Amino acid sequence: MSGGAGARLRLVSVSKRFVRAEHGAAAVADVSLTVEPGELLTLLGPSGCGKTTTLRMVAGFERPDTGQVLIDDQDVTGLMVYRRSIGFVFQNYALFPHLTVFENVAYGLRVQRLSEAVVRERVGRVLALVGLPGYERRFPNQLSGGEQQRVAVARAVVVEPRLLLFDEPLSNLDAKLRVQMREELSRLQRQLGITTVYVTHDQEEAMAISDRIAVMQAGRVAQVGTARDLYRAPRSVFVAQFIGRVNLLPARVVRAGPGAATVALWRREVTVPADGAGAIGADVSLVLRPESVGLLAAGAAPPAGEIAVDGVVRSRTFLGEKVEYTVEVDGASLLTVAYDPLRHGLFESGARVQVTCAPASLRLLTEA
Amino acid sequence: MSTILLLVASLLLAAPAWGADALNVYTAWPESLSQPIFKAYSAQTGVPINFIRLSTGELVARATAEKNNPRADVIWGAPGDGFAAAKAAGIIEPYRPPTAEKVPAELKDPEGYYTAVSRNTLLFMSNAKLLKEKGLKPPTSWNDLLDPAYKGQIQTADARTSGTALTRILSIYYAFGRDEEKAMEYQKKLHQNVQVYTKSGGGCTIPTAMGQAMVCIAHMPDAMEAKKKGYDMLTTFPREGVAAVIEGVALVKGAKNRDAAIRFIDWTFTKTMQDLLDKNEVYMLPTLPGGSINPAVQALMKEAKLLPVDLDWVGKNRKRLVDRWVNEVIKE
Amino acid sequence: MSPAAAPAGSSRAALRDPVLAPAVLLLWAAVALFVLYPVSRLLVLTFWDGGPTLAAVRELVTSWQHRRALGNSLLLAALVASTGTVLGFAFALLAVRAGLPRAVVGILDAVVLLPLISPPFTAAIALIFALGPRGLISYHVFGIASLNIYGLGGTLLSETITYFPIAYLTLKAVIANIDPNLEDGAFSLGARRGRVFRTVTVPLAAPGLANSFLLLSAASLADFATPLILGGTKFPVLPTQAFLQITGLYDMRGGAALSFLLLVPALAVFVAQRWWTERRSVVTVTGKSGAATSVKSLSPGAVALLALVCLATGLLVLTFYALIVVASMVRALGADNHLSMAHYAHVFGGGLKAIRDTLVIAAICMPVGGLFAVVLGFVVARTRFPGRRALEFAAMINYALPGTIVGIAYLVAFNDPPLALTGTAFILVVCYVFRYSLAGTRATTALLAQIDPSIEEASASLGARRDVTFRRVVLPLIRPALLAGMTVLFIRAMTAISATIFLVSLSWSLVTVRILEGITNLELGQASAFSVLVILLVYAAVALASVAMRWLPGGQLGRAGSLLGG
Repeated sequence: MSGGAGARLRLVSVSKRFVRAEHGAAAVADVSLTVEPGELLTLLGPSGCGKTTTLRMVAGFERPDTGQVLIDDQDVTGLMVYRRSIGFVFQNYALFPHLTVFENVAYGLRVQRLSEAVVRERVGRVLALVGLPGYERRFPNQLSGGEQQRVAVARAVVVEPRLLLFDEPLSNLDAKLRVQMREELSRLQRQLGITTVYVTHDQEEAMAISDRIAVMQAGRVAQVGTARDLYRAPRSVFVAQFIGRVNLLPARVVRAGPGAATVALWRREVTVPADGAGAIGADVSLVLRPESVGLLAAGAAPPAGEIAVDGVVRSRTFLGEKVEYTVEVDGASLLTVAYDPLRHGLFESGARVQVTCAPASLRLLTEA
Repeated sequence: MSTILLLVASLLLAAPAWGADALNVYTAWPESLSQPIFKAYSAQTGVPINFIRLSTGELVARATAEKNNPRADVIWGAPGDGFAAAKAAGIIEPYRPPTAEKVPAELKDPEGYYTAVSRNTLLFMSNAKLLKEKGLKPPTSWNDLLDPAYKGQIQTADARTSGTALTRILSIYYAFGRDEEKAMEYQKKLHQNVQVYTKSGGGCTIPTAMGQAMVCIAHMPDAMEAKKKGYDMLTTFPREGVAAVIEGVALVKGAKNRDAAIRFIDWTFTKTMQDLLDKNEVYMLPTLPGGSINPAVQALMKEAKLLPVDLDWVGKNRKRLVDRWVNEVIKE
Repeated sequence: MSPAAAPAGSSRAALRDPVLAPAVLLLWAAVALFVLYPVSRLLVLTFWDGGPTLAAVRELVTSWQHRRALGNSLLLAALVASTGTVLGFAFALLAVRAGLPRAVVGILDAVVLLPLISPPFTAAIALIFALGPRGLISYHVFGIASLNIYGLGGTLLSETITYFPIAYLTLKAVIANIDPNLEDGAFSLGARRGRVFRTVTVPLAAPGLANSFLLLSAASLADFATPLILGGTKFPVLPTQAFLQITGLYDMRGGAALSFLLLVPALAVFVAQRWWTERRSVVTVTGKSGAATSVKSLSPGAVALLALVCLATGLLVLTFYALIVVASMVRALGADNHLSMAHYAHVFGGGLKAIRDTLVIAAICMPVGGLFAVVLGFVVARTRFPGRRALEFAAMINYALPGTIVGIAYLVAFNDPPLALTGTAFILVVCYVFRYSLAGTRATTALLAQIDPSIEEASASLGARRDVTFRRVVLPLIRPALLAGMTVLFIRAMTAISATIFLVSLSWSLVTVRILEGITNLELGQASAFSVLVILLVYAAVALASVAMRWLPGGQLGRAGSLLGG
């Protein structure tokens, strides 16, 4: 399938407030984003953060109060939905119940009044593309959830839109199917090269398929970046906590320098990476991912360069390929994860341990 | 867009009265009596007639409402008081049919607004079986009806809708020598014996025939209809007299098919039409001298003491008489 | 994320939609012309004579007849609503809770449907035959000689029989929706049947009882034909008085003023009923119907009593209709009982024009009214067009008003140029469309509530303009609502009289008017024959619609007949 790919999407200071909102706060406040041609950008965030509203404004289902939506530098902010050349995949698929799979997929082509031969050819091709050849005559109520999902995608894609928009398309599927489908969607999108905006609240899904992720909170964009950037260098507590799991350690700045800072943690001074550490004496948080925490038996020597502190195991959860511990250190609780535990041994609840980590794996956030 | 086409199509379909060359008639006569006559006219002249049957009151009301845009061309077959009201309301125009020259003057409006098609009158129709059961003789006087034996056993027409009722009121009025107070007194007493007032003049005939009441005060044709159907009925007249009723015809003012209307009115006074009154068993007397007369009707009319009615006076006082009936007679 | 029924877009966006805006404008124009304009003309006629005046109304209030009529109307409405609701409740309990076999419930439904689909005064005629003086039942069977059915008693009985089916249909749905688990819960807490009925069943059914009370009050207030035949001079009521004022006394202003007097209670009841149904949340059950589990709240004694009451009523109804059928086939019921097809010969001979006219009008009404109802329902439920609530209310006015008022208003408003429409089929069609489309609109909004708006958004995202979406996606999915609306229109077109009696003309006559004429001219055999024909036609239509409904996807609206209730 050719054509339609490669449009650039730009959102410029887009805001929307719902008149009948209970909280009075804006649903979307001053959001600016650029999605490069062929890119898959995910809007990620908890429910109520404004990601779906933003997506619907791109589609044209909602109109921004302020700001602009530009597709390939064409201002489409005031353009009606049916003139925007988009493909929208709904959370509940929104298949037309009274039409066959063929007619569902052909719908957009029929609106364009294409000839029967062309319609038949394109529908056949796209159904094969999504893995449903031969399903033409069935009705939506005869399909499984996954199959309906594919038909919805096929329908959106067959019209060769400039933008592909997904509104939490996988949230109605069971876990295993979700994983399988997201791989297929990702592959399809790369193959077709259509600029895509994807909305989800599932951070694992976002990390698996996106070129970039925009994390949203309370109507604003908290941080945009690749999955790696967001995981490694979250710029706020919210983002840190939203992507992956995290331990937040309170600390105080002792000395600051370019790219690094010295903080007081666990009754000693540690030098950690930081950009813009803030004032001396400021209270900050250190991000420590569970997998970066090591556990050793009490008294064992810590690996070189790592800091160690005493702790007590409070609980243990054995999950097969990994085991999770909560360890009490200096009055606070730490979450740790250890992989391949059957090979490396398990600690008992109540055991005294040494908790170790490398200073480089501590990331400084100026929020306390 | 197909919706709009549908709407337009239905608009066109509903365009006002097709058959503009047909004649439009309002009549108060029951369909069984009027339709054969209209059919005969159409058969003879090829002009179709559209008509509606309305009670006298409704007829005048509708024609009055339509004053600025009359739908009917002719009012044919309604009691004289209706025409008096129509004349007062200004909805008919004078026309003297040349064929009606021979019709006696008392059967025509002096100013030519309407002419009598036939003569009619009021009578008492009684259920023979019920009378026998109760050992009663059929009533031959207005005062007979006040007998307590008739309590709840009399049916007659409602003055708000029926021309027959007005005939009754007028008959009582004239029978009591034009003493309005005496007439009102009588009607109040009569009211005690009345079971129900029917919407149309003939509305009491079948119930009486079926035994739901003993006596029905109705126009002659209605009573004879019931008798014709096979019900066992007795007809009598009050000796004090009943009002002479004329059934008339008039040209509607501003009629759209004026010429056709005039031709129809002229035809009404030909021997052909007048003979139909006998032939079709309409049970009314013709107004054109020399028309054939139904022997049964003739026998009946011989018994009756007919009281002449001043229609102009009726036209002016009709509303008042009916209002008095509503406010004084039927009030409980 | 799409919530189930939230309309998409903003009001400003709706205004700019190139298809929606003209459509709504057209709707408003139609409603303004055919609903608001006639009523305002009526008000002007009543309250304006050179300057504002209360003279007409004052005249009314000083007349004993009219004061009596107002009191009678209200009294009758209250009584009919009470007895009808109680009767309907009894029938509904029997149908839903007594564990009767489905075939029996089906028969019950069919019998109860009869009064709803027949011309409105069929019960009155039959009553006269059956229970009048020398009535076939009262005298010939029971030997009672002087039963007076004219007046309040007869009118009450006739209207109760005519309108209790509305209560039945309303209450049946309500009772079926009461979760039997609630009653079971009460039983498990030690309550006995009587207490459970009193403290659980009835309170839960209370919204339905109130609703049906209001519906029946409205129906009785507006009933013009029954009191015309049975009320007599002893029991005047407002719609009949208004009719007589105009047609008997040629007093348009007086008639208009009387209509206004009737308008106030009628509108009050209507508004109350709407407010009531919108405020009260109906007790919903997660998918289970009440009949599925065994219900214990009716003791065998209670069932027997209910069965007796319902049987007696059912027999009465059947007898009435049997009388009508017999009367249509004998020469003159009561006097000459020889079989004769003369009446039917007349119906299909001289009466053919009326039949053809009525069917033509009904046939035009159906698509026009059906589409109007559906488009209106869609605009109200699915768009955020400013003023759509007002449009919905305005469109309902002609339904809320008693037919007499609408008929008189139309007569006043459309008799003179430039809008001289009286006498045309157009005005009859318009009258029906704006009076009886409400059922279709309600069915549409109900059905739309079950359809996710994301389907329409999907269509828009695929490039389809609003009207294309409406035609290709919405319309096919709300076909049951369209069908229901058209069926109700057909039924009403075949049986309505109170508005249209003012609007028949030389060119267009209606079967119901012919029936009334037949009654007043004592051509009872003919009137009965016409009635039988109408009943058969309407029954066929309802049966056809019910079957079609089962075939269509999404036909959960149930029987078309149930829409006549609202």
